[in-house]
Parts: sequence; structure tokens; C-alpha cells
Amino acid sequence: MTSKRLRSYLRTIGQVFVLQFKQLAIDGFIIFTVLVQPLLIAILGLWMMREQQGNYAIFIVVGSGMTGLWSSLLYISGSNINVERWLGTLEMLVGTPTPLAVTVIGKTLSNVVMSLSSMILGYVLAALIFRFPLTLAHPLLFVVSLICSVAAFAAFGLVIAPFFAINLQLQSWNNALEFPMYILAGFMFPIALLPGWTTPISYALAPYWAARALHATSSGNVPLSEVFLSWGMMLLFSVIYLLLSGWLFRVMVHKARVDATLSLQ
Amino acid sequence: MMKRLQAAFRIFFTSAYYSYIALFRWFRPAQYMASKIVMPLAQILFFAFLGMYASGRDQASFYVIGNAVQLAAINGIYGVTMSVGGERWAGTLGYMFGAPANRMLVFVGRAFMHIIDGMLGVVLGLMWGVLLLGVDLSRTDVGALALTILITAASTSGMGLLLGCLSLITRNVMFINNTVYFLMLALCGANVPVSSLPGWVQRISYVLPLTRGIASARDIVDGASLRSVGPMLVGEVLVGAVYILLGYVLFRQFEIQAKKRGTLEVM
Repeated sequence: MTSKRLRSYLRTIGQVFVLQFKQLAIDGFIIFTVLVQPLLIAILGLWMMREQQGNYAIFIVVGSGMTGLWSSLLYISGSNINVERWLGTLEMLVGTPTPLAVTVIGKTLSNVVMSLSSMILGYVLAALIFRFPLTLAHPLLFVVSLICSVAAFAAFGLVIAPFFAINLQLQSWNNALEFPMYILAGFMFPIALLPGWTTPISYALAPYWAARALHATSSGNVPLSEVFLSWGMMLLFSVIYLLLSGWLFRVMVHKARVDATLSLQ
Repeated sequence: MMKRLQAAFRIFFTSAYYSYIALFRWFRPAQYMASKIVMPLAQILFFAFLGMYASGRDQASFYVIGNAVQLAAINGIYGVTMSVGGERWAGTLGYMFGAPANRMLVFVGRAFMHIIDGMLGVVLGLMWGVLLLGVDLSRTDVGALALTILITAASTSGMGLLLGCLSLITRNVMFINNTVYFLMLALCGANVPVSSLPGWVQRISYVLPLTRGIASARDIVDGASLRSVGPMLVGEVLVGAVYILLGYVLFRQFEIQAKKRGTLEVM
């Protein structure tokens, strides 16, 4: 890839990022998914855990923020391609010289970055309204974990967008896929509570490693080697997801052109 | 008189049936399973595990029963709201308000199938609790529990009818629905005992449907008789009736104003 083309792609990603951000910021459903729902889950979690000893508030704040991250990935990133189809702009996007995947990268990054606001809002709520002493055990490592998590979630978003576009019926499974990830990834409670047979499933999910890294660096109750392991796993999964999404995008665009289903509702 | 009664029955059941069919016309069995089996199961498990993490495994029953009864709100809030508001999106409001049919029957009919479907959802939720988390129903008066589920599903549908009317005047009804649904998860005692909430929050809890229904269901599973939970169930019926009445007043007001201003089809 030439540097000129790379600059062009980066410019597209930047433009799409800004446009998508503006659209999301005024959408009632998105505001609920990214802000209201995680906030209500945080309040519920803080209230349910009030009898617990120890620094549980930061665990709940980070965990509820992650529920917002996953829900927005599922609902918004999952429909990144289909929404263009519903608006009648998918043919134009596929027809332009810029690959569709580049446009979807910009949209997915925008979704993931916006959904981080749920974690910030949860932090503010717990610290200012509920007056919990919220301290990050390893602030620098937490920031690195957050960057790794954004990359892993964005890569996952690049898999589900073409997957849902190929399998239109699957999108109606969105509601059913939301809570299972909250459970299996250990956003709000350790997966040790779950039956043993679910553990390998958790290990195969990038959000689990993201939760593990973020909880470990915010609560500080695990050795650093575990944090590095989580980063490594997120990196590994990001690479796998990117390779998989590259293949899915090729299949999707080819299939849509052959079957003439680009505008199929 | 007999003929009018027959016509009323026909209008009620026909509109109830067709509004339900219309809402789920796009559904396939796998999608129905996703919405009615997988999603409720995952929601119950999430809150039950969170609750067990917070207060120990022996508290599983508290969370399972609370969240299973709360499932009535999936139909009561989302289903009923969409059955009322869907008329606007389908462009059929004009026909509905142009017909001479009794408005109360048409309005309440929108909730009928969702009450039955909601009850089924609660039963499935309890079944998951028994199978997966060992909830003990051996001391339960089944008839009393069934009546509690029926009343709770109906009162929650009353809230749905009111929200459905809001969907006739606002485009952001899903935002309202989602927020109300999650607020009910927090305030109605499904996950946090109402008595442990601050006083002003408790007052809100008791004007919401579900609160008394969830408390009654827990008492019945613990071995209480129908007589002992009777006052709570009467309260649940009254709360539901108030919401239905408020919804109906709003529904009639919408019809009158829309006809007067010619805004029936305005989006």
C-alpha cells in the first residue's frame, strides 16, 4: 500500500468517525444504550453490593462501562453495514474506490470511543453522587488496557458487521446476545461463579480478556503478569478478528454483487 | 342487548388477536426463541449471578423469582406499546379511529394477548430457575402463584398501554420504553429489596406495577397463602387499573386532538 493511499484511507476513517459520532450523539436509542443503560446497571450493581467489604465500587463502575461497550458494539457496530442498506447508500459505498471495510473501521471506532463515555459517566456518578472513593490501582496500565480493549472491541465489531449483513435474520438475535456476553466475559462478577464448562468459552472471547485487564489494573488485586497475558490475548484476538473480517467483507461484497442483494431490505 | 354483547366480544378478541399477529408478522420460530427463551434466560442468569456474588448462593431464589416475574414487563412494556404505537407506523390509525367500534375495547384489546404471552414468559423464567439454579417450589400454592402472575402481567400491560399512547405523540418511544424497563428492574424489588431503598424511592416503587406482584410471588413461593398476599394483589390490580385509565384518557385525547387538528398521520 502506498503512503498516498494510506493517507487517503486515514482521511476517510477520520471523516467517517466524525460524521458517525455526530449522528450517534443525537440518537435516542444510542443515548440509552451507551449512557442510560450502563448507568442504571451501575446504580443497581452499587446498590446490590453495598454490604460487601473492599473496593468493589471501581469493579462495578468498570464492569458497567464494559456492558455499555458491548451493547453498543452489538447494536450499533452490528448494523454498521445494514444501516447503509436501509438508507439506500450501500450501493454507493461499495461502488466508491475506497474499500467498504475502511468506512466501517471509521464507524466502528467512533462507536467504541463513544461508548467509553459510559465508563466515564459511571465513574462520575459513583464518585460524586454516591461518594465512593474511586482510585485506579495502576492508572498507566489501565490506560494501556483501555487502548488494547478499544482495539479488540473495534476488531470484533469489524467481524460482526459483515456477519450480520450476510445473515440478515441474525440481527434479530441482538437482544439475546447482550446478556450472555455480560455473563461470560465477567464484566460485573468473576467467571469463577459460573459452571466450569463455560470457562473455555470465556477464554475464547476478547471482551473477557479486556474485562480481566481493566478489572486487574483498576482494582489492582492480581499480579502484573496476568495483565500482560490479557494484553497479549487481546492482541492475538484482534489479529484473528481482522483476518476473519477481511475474509467476511470479501465474501459479503462478492455475494451481494452476484446475488444483486446490495439493496435487499 | 345480546347482539351488542356478542359484537363487543368479537371486536375485543379479533382486534386483540390481529394486533398481536401484526406485531410478530416478521417473526420466525428461531427469532421467537431468541426473544422469548434465550434473552429472558440470560437476563435472569445475569442478575442471579450478580446477586449471588453480592449476597451469597443461598440468595439465588430471591433473584430468580424477582427477575422471572419482571419478565412480564417484556410483553407488558414493549409488546403492548408496539401494539398501540404500531398503528401509526403501519398507517392504520385513520381506519382505527374511523371505525365505530368501542374505543375502550379496542384499546384494552391491544394488551390481551401480551398478558397471556407475558404469563408464559414468567412461567418459563421460573422453570429456568428451578432447573438451573435449584429454586424450590415445593411449598408453593400453584393456583395463588398463577393468579399473581396473571395480575402482575395485566398491571404491567396497563403501564404498557399508557406508554403506547405516548408512542402516538413522540418518536422516541423506544428510549422511554427501555428506560422504564430498566428503572423497573431497579425499583420494583426484582434485584434490591424495596425496603432497603431510600424512602422517596420506595414511594416511587409503590406507584409502579410489578412491585407488589414480585413481593407476592416471593411470599407464595415461601409458603404464604392467597389470603395473606390478598391485600398486595388488590393493590397491584388497583395500580394496573389506574395506568389503564390514564392510558385510555390519553388515547381518547389523542384521537380528539388529532381529528381536530388533522394530525392523525403526522410523524
